Amino acid sequence: MTDVETAKLPAALRPVLDNGIPAVIVTCSTAGVPNATIISQVYYVDESHVALSFQFFNKTIRNVRENPRAAVMLADVAAAANWVLALEFERSEKAGPIFEAMDIHIEAIASSTGMSGIFKLQAADVYRVRSVRHVPFHP
Amino acid sequence: MIPGKIQRFLEEYANVATSGSRDRDLVPYGHRVIGWRIGADRDSLICLVPAQFTDQLVDNLTDNGQYSVTIEEFPSHETYQFKGRYLRHRDPEPQDHAAHARIVARFQKGVRTMFPELPEQLLRDYMLEPALAVEIQVEEIFLQTPGPGAGTRLVPPVGAGGA
Repeated sequence: MTDVETAKLPAALRPVLDNGIPAVIVTCSTAGVPNATIISQVYYVDESHVALSFQFFNKTIRNVRENPRAAVMLADVAAAANWVLALEFERSEKAGPIFEAMDIHIEAIASSTGMSGIFKLQAADVYRVRSVRHVPFHP
Repeated sequence: MIPGKIQRFLEEYANVATSGSRDRDLVPYGHRVIGWRIGADRDSLICLVPAQFTDQLVDNLTDNGQYSVTIEEFPSHETYQFKGRYLRHRDPEPQDHAAHARIVARFQKGVRTMFPELPEQLLRDYMLEPALAVEIQVEEIFLQTPGPGAGTRLVPPVGAGGA
């Protein structure tokens, strides 16, 4: 089931971040309640960091500010696999190149899914990648 | 009791899902869910998890019982999150496989409306086969449809207590 275990994002994962398929993030409150929700974008920052969009002050945002650990699942349909990232929240950016690039990308996703105007980027939340797992649909 | 409107959503419209658990150190884990059905008491939910995503799941559930499952209709994006307490797990039964088959058909139909050219095999591969059935007592339901209202608690209603 697992063929990659590293804190560096492999090159094969880069195109998956841009495939337009929503990802899933799971977080956990300090009270111990997990929260699973769908996110529109996982943005590549560098080989050991990704950024996630902060659009609304929702449960995910509240959870990672009290418990920084998160898990993200990405669908790599072309390769018949999922990628599972274990992440740790590091910082939130409200301006700068990461924020601006995400803002443009989010509006493009919103337009293509008929949800233009619903999404507004508040911040780019930057996470350190703790581990990467590649999970083929058919081992 | 899961409200009637949401029961209909689960049984007639929803076509994609995911779930989360956590370990004793509050580290969250994601688990794909490729089928579900409402329990006979209409208050519990049976979630079907493929073998590829059972890693750590039973350990987490038997340790702390916390489980959340988010279920969506694609492409409308109507989505609800169900938070509940683990009751039991078991191998999938014929009723579970039948529920899975209905959901796979709905998923394929939903995706086809947006991506008519997508290869059939790719869609079949994506849904996987159920390997584990996890039954939870639903304690809270949240609206999760993308937008400013996402996260609103529907059950129990806001102001009626709960976590």
